[in-house]
Amino acid sequence: MRRRDRHDDDPELFELLANLEEIAETTRIPALLCRLLEIYGLKSVAYLGSGLSAQPGQGPYLAVTYSDDWVDHYKAQRFVDVDPAVQIGMRRMLPIDWDTFDRRDKNVRRLFGEAAEFGLGRRGISLPVHGQHGDRALVSITSDASDRDWRHLRLYYMRDFQMLALHMHQAILRLEGQRMETASLSPRERECLLWVAEGKTAWETAIILGLSEHTVRCYLESARHKLGAANNTHAVNKAGKASLLSQIP
Amino acid sequence: MITIVEGAERERHSTLIDEMFRMRAAVFADRLEWDVIVTDGREIDRFDAEDPLYLLSLDNQTGALQGAVRLLPTTGPNMLRDVFPVLVPGGAPASPLIWESSRFAVNPAAFNACERAEANHVVNCTTIELLCGIVEVCQRAGIEHVVSVFDARMARIFRTIGCTFEVIGTPARIGRTMTYAGIFDMSEAMRERLGETGRLLTPVLATVEPRRIPHPRHA
Repeated sequence: MRRRDRHDDDPELFELLANLEEIAETTRIPALLCRLLEIYGLKSVAYLGSGLSAQPGQGPYLAVTYSDDWVDHYKAQRFVDVDPAVQIGMRRMLPIDWDTFDRRDKNVRRLFGEAAEFGLGRRGISLPVHGQHGDRALVSITSDASDRDWRHLRLYYMRDFQMLALHMHQAILRLEGQRMETASLSPRERECLLWVAEGKTAWETAIILGLSEHTVRCYLESARHKLGAANNTHAVNKAGKASLLSQIP
Repeated sequence: MITIVEGAERERHSTLIDEMFRMRAAVFADRLEWDVIVTDGREIDRFDAEDPLYLLSLDNQTGALQGAVRLLPTTGPNMLRDVFPVLVPGGAPASPLIWESSRFAVNPAAFNACERAEANHVVNCTTIELLCGIVEVCQRAGIEHVVSVFDARMARIFRTIGCTFEVIGTPARIGRTMTYAGIFDMSEAMRERLGETGRLLTPVLATVEPRRIPHPRHA
């Protein structure tokens, strides 16, 4: 069976990615994070960014849905010094399931115990983002799913939040005044998008171009990312507006 | 078995990682005579400072290092984008769902330790095990494609063992050898093909997690 393109049938993910791209004011971030909670049935979402600005001495950037009570408590207890997600998470490549943290350490145990008391949820995942210029971010989500549901949910969250985390990071970079580089596509990426714009599927495009279907999907994935698009249709529109499709390769 | 080491946590596995850097010197500088920098007998480059993910193939009985490979996200600094842009004139692929693999090395100690026929077998097994490890770790993290830069020698090996790839961009002669950039599909079909060639039908990563992803949001 052929894989379907991941975003084409997913209006909610599309909505979220589109909103992230259009967000123009920092004050709109909390509402967007709340929408994430709603759509995914999560207890909390937190974004932590570092190296966002070229100026030295800038502290990390934080956007969270945590209650003020928890944020105050977290600061007062200096949990940042023991929080394993923050300490190591941003430098990792693999997403971290909070279940894998070593809870033998009594400070770590206390942190997660008290987090649960403050309504953060018993389960969590943190997803690291590696930015283009050494900038990094960590997006953490928490849930109160049962053990059985969590086994499935975590993989599904990991898949969508790889995308969401990066788009969140790019939105915040933009809001912080970083100039975003204008997208440019490789000849193959453009060619694949052109055929998609003609209504061809990835499979048909593969036949036409003499490539394998997975390679076409990889080019389309890369093109979507470079254009900041949520799906192929969106990518075609954006490339069209930026006149990236006009040059026939 | 394949052990995963996060670059950010490498001090927890400092002996193994040090051994990997020395093995890389033996492979890339001594054997293949690549233009790499070796310091104190260790081959370390600037991408090792970017917190990559290392996969180490360890002997099931002795725990000896048999081979290693390095993975980097294509959204950040990576070799294809930053060192080999000549191979991808239109720009390198980039996405959080595409990783890059580099510094694929099989320990030359295997050549010395045994008879030629047996050495070939060990090299093949280690190569396939590392590739299976890449597919498995990508599947765990939701990564769908891997890009990599490799030479004609590796291209032949990939073809022999059923590790299908498609060349992207424009191959170029770099130093003495033709150099390619390729895309690899991190699918179940890829894992099965490799598994059959290498008789590695069970997972090679130390821990396994379920692969199927249901769609529970609307449930």
